[in-house]
Amino acid sequence: MKNESNNGAGIYKKAQRKPKKLGNSPVLWFIPLVLVLLLVFVYPIIEIIRFSFTDAGLIDRDYTYTLKSYFSLFTSPGFFNMLFVTGFFVFFSVTFQMMLGLAVALLVDQGMKRRLHGTVILRTAVLTAWAIPGVIIGIIWTMLYNESNAGVLNYILSFVGLDSGIAFLSDPINSLISVTFANVWRGTAFSMIMIYAGLQTISKDVIEATLVDGANAVQRLFKVIIPILSPVLFINLIVVTVETFNTFDMVMALTGGGPGRSTEVIALSIYNSIFRQFELGQGAATAVVLLLINTLMTVIYFKAIEKNQAVN
Amino acid sequence: MKINKLLMVIFVVGLLAIMSACVGNESKPDGDTSGKEGKGENESTVTINWQAIPPYSLQSTDENRVEYLQKAIDEWEAENGKFEINPMVTTSNISEGMAKLQEQAAQGRAPDVAMVDSYIFPRFYDYLQPLDSYLEEAGIELDDFFPFAQDVMTGPDGKIYGLQFTTDVRTLYYRTDLVPTPPQSWDEVLEIGKQLKEDGYNALMFPGGTDEPTVNTSLWPYYWAQGGELVDDEGNAVFGEGENRTKMLNALTYLQNLVDTGVTPSRVTTYGNEADLNAEIATGELAMFIGGNWQVSQMKEILGEEEFSKWGVSHIPHKDPNAKTTLAGGWVWGIFAEDEEKQQAAFDFIVHTFIGDKGMGNWATIGGYLPTRESVYKHESYTGNVFTDQFSEFLNHAQMRPAATSYTKISAELQNAASSVLSGGKTPEDALQDAWDAVK
Repeated sequence: MKNESNNGAGIYKKAQRKPKKLGNSPVLWFIPLVLVLLLVFVYPIIEIIRFSFTDAGLIDRDYTYTLKSYFSLFTSPGFFNMLFVTGFFVFFSVTFQMMLGLAVALLVDQGMKRRLHGTVILRTAVLTAWAIPGVIIGIIWTMLYNESNAGVLNYILSFVGLDSGIAFLSDPINSLISVTFANVWRGTAFSMIMIYAGLQTISKDVIEATLVDGANAVQRLFKVIIPILSPVLFINLIVVTVETFNTFDMVMALTGGGPGRSTEVIALSIYNSIFRQFELGQGAATAVVLLLINTLMTVIYFKAIEKNQAVN
Repeated sequence: MKINKLLMVIFVVGLLAIMSACVGNESKPDGDTSGKEGKGENESTVTINWQAIPPYSLQSTDENRVEYLQKAIDEWEAENGKFEINPMVTTSNISEGMAKLQEQAAQGRAPDVAMVDSYIFPRFYDYLQPLDSYLEEAGIELDDFFPFAQDVMTGPDGKIYGLQFTTDVRTLYYRTDLVPTPPQSWDEVLEIGKQLKEDGYNALMFPGGTDEPTVNTSLWPYYWAQGGELVDDEGNAVFGEGENRTKMLNALTYLQNLVDTGVTPSRVTTYGNEADLNAEIATGELAMFIGGNWQVSQMKEILGEEEFSKWGVSHIPHKDPNAKTTLAGGWVWGIFAEDEEKQQAAFDFIVHTFIGDKGMGNWATIGGYLPTRESVYKHESYTGNVFTDQFSEFLNHAQMRPAATSYTKISAELQNAASSVLSGGKTPEDALQDAWDAVK
């Protein structure tokens, strides 16, 4: 017995001493991934941060290291307006995308449970908005918001007595609301998908128990469904917020940031600085501001996941 | 062991593939989207890399243009058996395309011959080859080009570095049945405009969004006509100080007056370029607009001959009724090739297709452009339109945008200023001050 034991330990030690084969090590398998991450993510971020501390132009690459780009950005007359526009756009986009996403998800869920006709069509129609590229959505809404006689929305509004039409895109305040509305339309589908998936995880027993307790629909929604969905809603909130901060294509196609700078969000400002004004340094500094905002959102996202896992 | 070897082989092969791809990219000029290998590798054939923007290339959506270009290339190649044209296309985003070309030129990677936007052409003088001897051999006189084109083509050392082959001009279009005598001044525009507005028409429109055509049609001509300067001799912005400030303020205040009086609807801020006005023209409710000469063919297509015949053109009205200032643009060919044989071949091809009497006449006719050589207007190959004589007269009062590198920033900020004033978002004073603060 003793011998057997000794023998077993010897085998174990022998196995421990055995030199590691490269093929058994995970390092080599990670090399391609690390290379891709370094090239595609880390290197561009380092370059953006580096350029943000220069006065580089897109054409003339001779530059010096300076804080001028940040100084110029923070003292620019349009900087705080850009932050306000972005804040408005993100806040209202996210709020309404979440609310409408929840509403549509509940409708689809109820429709599916009651086996109503057209539920699949409704779900597909909503998803279509999400699948359309932002530029196309921008063009579609440009046609809808058109303020001439060819405008679709103004034509419809003329039937309810608004003959003079609404300046959807030519008024600075209206244009910001119009752009936000179009973005809500675009983003509601994503929230709907997330929340609908969350709804499928709610146990039927829980809902039945609330019915037995005599809870009405509103009570069921606010006291049971939303609390259960809260982890999904929170993750959805973070993802949608980051996505909205990065929105550029639709705004570019719809208003180009105008009139003036009334709809110029941060992401669009970066494009304008680098590709229209050729100011690589200032564009990079603006990109760093956006990067910081997104990093903050990501930190909150991970903290939320950690907290959620701890609760579970 | 086998796994180790296999992994190492995969790793090394992958690394080599990436390295070879990098090396391979260096040997091919940027912008080559033709997919054509070229006969350059063949000892007997020399490839000329010819770069154009999409509407001037074989990728144009206009069949007539493509047909003309393909025929011109085939003819020229047949006459010059040793050479082959390699068509390259740059991006349709002009600013981006020009930025990339300048970067290529600075690194010695520019195509042999390329199109350059006329207003930034002076930025390329250092990288371009002088063409004086080639022009002399071809018998083309510099004096035959319009004065503004000569200025662009001639470098600071007096040598000719480019060949401007098209130009365009901004003008006032007006409905002759509604406006028998076109307005000559801002006061007349407001007076006539108010009456037209009362009669139910959109009196005057122009691009007013945040894009380059807004300043080209709706700000620079007004400002220049008062003697305003955008930059000084060193290329520094000067529009926000001294008398220039007053002149710019006058122009912005005029824009504000147009909207406040209802002469111009504020929705012009949603129109980023001249073509955006086509829908308004089609309604039949637009009395006047400021646009470009190239819109004639578009208008004929939209309106038909009968409705189109109601339209006339005139100088852009200014503060001073005697001023006739307008803005001209256009494109210039520049030769970057250092090899003399290639220079000669590139020059010959450009003259054959775009610069010679026949080439310029044909291309201007097909594309709806204005020739840059006065003699071509009388050449049989050029067929203008009913307004051609007036457009060529307007060109004598044309100015071009400054080539200074600061211009892009100045333009972007003043596009925002004009758009903000037209939308009612800012007063002319605030808009100008913000633009000046951002630029200075």
